[in-house]
Amino acid sequence: MPGDPLPLVPWAGTRQSATEFKSDQEVRWCPGCGDYAVLAAVQGFLPELGLARENIVFVSGIGCSSRFPYYMNTYGMHSIHGRAPAIATGLATSRTDLSVWVVTGDGDALSIGGNHLIHALRRNVNLKILLFNNRIYGLTKGQYSPTSETGKITRSTPMGSLETPFNPASLAIGAEATFIARTLDSDRHHLVDVLRQAAVHQGTALVEIYQNCNIFNDGAFAVLKDKRSAQEAVIRLEHGKPIRFGHAGGKGVIRDTATGRLRVVPVTAGNEADVLVHDAHETDPGTAFALSRLADPHTLHHTPIGVLRQVERPDYDTQMAGQLDAAVERDGKGDLAALLAGTDTWTVKE
Amino acid sequence: MTYVIAQPCIDVKDKACIEECPVDCIYEGPRKMYIQPDECVDCGACEPVCPVEAVFYQDDLPADWADYLGVERDFFATVGAPGGASSQPPLETDHPAVAGEPQRTASS
Ligand SMILES: Cc1ncc(C[n+]2csc(CCOP(=O)(O)OP(=O)(O)O)c2C)c(N)n1
Ligand code: SF4
Ligand code: SF4
Ligand code: SF4
Ligand SMILES: [Mg+2]
Repeated sequence: MPGDPLPLVPWAGTRQSATEFKSDQEVRWCPGCGDYAVLAAVQGFLPELGLARENIVFVSGIGCSSRFPYYMNTYGMHSIHGRAPAIATGLATSRTDLSVWVVTGDGDALSIGGNHLIHALRRNVNLKILLFNNRIYGLTKGQYSPTSETGKITRSTPMGSLETPFNPASLAIGAEATFIARTLDSDRHHLVDVLRQAAVHQGTALVEIYQNCNIFNDGAFAVLKDKRSAQEAVIRLEHGKPIRFGHAGGKGVIRDTATGRLRVVPVTAGNEADVLVHDAHETDPGTAFALSRLADPHTLHHTPIGVLRQVERPDYDTQMAGQLDAAVERDGKGDLAALLAGTDTWTVKE
Repeated sequence: MTYVIAQPCIDVKDKACIEECPVDCIYEGPRKMYIQPDECVDCGACEPVCPVEAVFYQDDLPADWADYLGVERDFFATVGAPGGASSQPPLETDHPAVAGEPQRTASS
């Protein structure tokens, strides 16, 4: 199809509905868990892409969030703790006709799986990574995670966490990610808007979803969800639009010319022209990095959500397929059995 | 699929359920609360907290109240999907099936 952003993945050919993406498995998260909202949003959104269900794969690691593939009526794999990006990398590079999604949690992606995550991001493999950040280990009953705030009291930090948390979006920018977005489990409209942009991105898309674990870390993002506080707490980024928020857009983000830092100021007739215009496609990651960590770490006030960064860089899978084609053209099709039984051996002498 | 609020809520409306709903999809009518079926994410949080056991998963609705699935669906056919009850004023009219129910008094 002309202009098709996912030219290699076959189309379903018929109109799909959310119901087709629901599996027959009973959903087993705690009642009220934010994961339900993300599941419903993904199932409601996928028909829009119109891809053949048998060419969609959800790969997860271990955690509550990682139960996601069971509930999707697509291919899927509940894999190894932290290793979903590695497994998905293999799948996406060897099968460019698949739409590959990773579902992971803050513990899965950033503790045991931190290594795999950063390398998938820098390689720019065609993966869409949904990182459910509830700032806790949910499945194992409430230990602190790499995104838990310093001082957090949990079962494994009875006197308070001594660690500085990761900021997943900042980490992803440092890891050379080409697409980074942040959204909220309960804001269906925003979540789907971000998924739509992630789905058509060429390369790795990291979508951090602030997710409520109502059992072990209830209300972690309440300030961003409550209609009254959200107006001052949430900054909705839109490419090409001035970064303004608050009542009647009364606040804005400017760059302090003396320090180079980003600052939140009341917008006046005098400074209106200085309000930063969000440019998600800017190749220099500096402003996106500053935006990713604009929020006050204690109150979460001034949290930017939306697509922080979306830049073009050749993806790993297409390039690898190109190298394989070039090698076949030069040397002919390889023979794996012959290679394994080959004569290119040597003996180690004492 | 959706959860449904049936007849026992009428004239009770203690609203324990709305505190639990993670997606804010339980809307207030004059005599009953209503779940927006397209916004409900089936998380089941509202069901156990209802003091009068008015909330049911759609497949588990008792036969006497089976109509309430249709009541909620019809109700939102006109209201639409506002995307959050807390940013809305309470709805002004009930579904006719609810409005037609006899007034519940303290003893009934
Ligand atoms: C190799 C290994 N180490 C540790 C565990 C225990 N474990 C299971 S899930 C988990 C972390 C889950 O946290 P997160 O990824 O944030 O998922 P959530 O449950 O919060 O969605 C841990 C440490 C394990 N299953 N396997
Ligand atoms: S423990 Fe937390 S994250 Fe896990 S299912 Fe329950 S509410 Fe959800
Ligand atoms: S908790 Fe039960 S009675 Fe109360 S408003 Fe909700 S459905 Fe109605
Ligand atoms: S099942 Fe969950 S999403 Fe649906 S109305 Fe109840 S609390 Fe809200
Ligand atoms: Mg977690």
